Amino acid sequence: MGAFFALGIFQGAVYGLLAVGIVLVYKAKRVFNFAQGEFGGVAAFAAFYLVVNLGLPYWTGILGGLAAAVAMGLAVERVIVRPLESASRTIMLVALVGVALFTIAIIVLLGQPVPRVMPPLVEGSGVNILGAGILPQQLILLAVLAVLAAAMAWFFKTDLGLAVLASSQDTRAAQVVGISPVAISRLVWGMAALLGGIAGLLYAPVGIFTPGFMTLTMLVPAFAAAVLGGMTSLPGAFVGGIAIGVVQNLGIYLLGQQLKVPGAAELGVFALLMLVLLIRPQGLLGKEA
Amino acid sequence: MATATMTFGRIKVARRFGLALRVAVVLALLVLAALPLLLGGDVWAQRISRAAIYAIIGLSINTLTGHAGQISLGHQAFVGIGAFAAAFMASRLGAPLGFGLAAGALAGMATAAIVGMVALRVTGLYLALVTLAFGLTAETTIFNWREFTGGGAGAFAPRPALVSSDHAFALLCLGVLALVLYADWRLVSTKAGRALAAVRNDERIASTLGINVTGYKLAAFSLSGLAAGLAGGLFAHWNQVVQAMDFEFQVALVWVLMTVVGGLRSRLGVILASAFFALLPLTLPNFLAGLPWQPPFLNEAVYHVLPPFIVVVMLLIVLRFFPGGLGQLLRPATRWLTKGGDR
Repeated sequence: MGAFFALGIFQGAVYGLLAVGIVLVYKAKRVFNFAQGEFGGVAAFAAFYLVVNLGLPYWTGILGGLAAAVAMGLAVERVIVRPLESASRTIMLVALVGVALFTIAIIVLLGQPVPRVMPPLVEGSGVNILGAGILPQQLILLAVLAVLAAAMAWFFKTDLGLAVLASSQDTRAAQVVGISPVAISRLVWGMAALLGGIAGLLYAPVGIFTPGFMTLTMLVPAFAAAVLGGMTSLPGAFVGGIAIGVVQNLGIYLLGQQLKVPGAAELGVFALLMLVLLIRPQGLLGKEA
Repeated sequence: MATATMTFGRIKVARRFGLALRVAVVLALLVLAALPLLLGGDVWAQRISRAAIYAIIGLSINTLTGHAGQISLGHQAFVGIGAFAAAFMASRLGAPLGFGLAAGALAGMATAAIVGMVALRVTGLYLALVTLAFGLTAETTIFNWREFTGGGAGAFAPRPALVSSDHAFALLCLGVLALVLYADWRLVSTKAGRALAAVRNDERIASTLGINVTGYKLAAFSLSGLAAGLAGGLFAHWNQVVQAMDFEFQVALVWVLMTVVGGLRSRLGVILASAFFALLPLTLPNFLAGLPWQPPFLNEAVYHVLPPFIVVVMLLIVLRFFPGGLGQLLRPATRWLTKGGDR
């Protein structure tokens, strides 16, 4: 039980990291970014190519991976998001789902659908926390999540962050005072891609990874985390991510191992998502805005 | 006076000729569409069944997203429930095919109605997320429930003697597709269709017009689930075995994409796009592998990955350049064929 709790916290850190990017895009553009996971996928595969296939040092993998993710973010912004600015939010969502599937298809085409193992940032054996073996990589992940969530919360207090919020609330009025919507859009998608890239780079070495690993299993819990946190709150994304991770793992323990219910992890996430939306739609830390 | 009558007569003749031409074109297209079934043997009969099943699923999503403006990213839940219900009826209870399909349709309808109740409270992007999460839960929990679905091994759904041949089964699928098509046409051209359009455009205004928004939303979900469950039932008997992994959530995403590519609220567009997306994974890899000249960097494995890639590229092109989908591209032709009558 304790082991599942600890595993949940560290699993939840990945959800939180993705949720931070999701919240950023939602705050700035009122869009559900279903492509957030694949920013991480692209970063992980680019880094794997540089570090394992070409044998370059680890820091080039990190830089190359993040650069690939940001390039993808800017391309998505230019090719898909900006032309669909005036389309309905639902069409935008379908398009972003399309972007995620497109990216997975490209990765499979270039790299074949085989599992890969990425060397971790820090070698070393697991630390025992409440009876669960936690890798150093996972400790780093949790720390990075805390730092990034705090940094993003701070970002929205700066002039630039306020400009993003202003542009989100009234694009025209923001334009009148000199805030370019195009520049804001580029900034937001670039930052979201960077956050997604960091999530992918940090999570890939935790286990084996396959094309689509960030989208197929991580994205729905990450969205549930963002919703639980209130969709507009960055501390909420942190808290929501960890809470979803814990609920998922306790679900696996209580429902899956004790009661033999199949798919306990998904069931736990779905139940929590429904509870939040029906009882407290503004989430734990969300505000009306 | 005399010239007037003459002109009138000429127009009449021209009109008759135009009508005859249009009927001839439609008949020629139908014959062309029927050719694979007539000449293609069992392989093409199977493929046509699959295309018809996909078309029913496309129309089901069209009812929900096109007519009622509600998004569902978890349609595999409804189709899967229908498939497992039909398989359960056929293999465990030995019920005739009609009962199995009816059970599938009802199971799909009940499931969709429950999701519809959630949709009364949760709207827009949040609904998309809920349906996605629900689809995942259905895939991993309900479809792996051993007593109902046989767990990982799958549930068997043998075909009864009457439709045991692939040709007879293809005709059954096409017949059901025709029924669903007719239902969709009646839905759109009656009061219910106009009420759904009002709900889609603005729920608040619709309710001030005296439209029962709650009722119509639930009805749209139920109808969509009914068609999806029916398609699931057909799928079960088409494949003769159903497994949870047939209903992964990528499948549901492809279904939504194919409906959007076909063009929301365009019956012809949705059917064509669904059939295309159903056949692409079956035909393209074989076709490419059979080519005399093989491109240097491609191989068998890559060909099997190409279809989803093509699907998504089509989606992005459609959303970017023709938001109305295939239906929009075909509109001049359909308008000529129907003389601007029906959409």
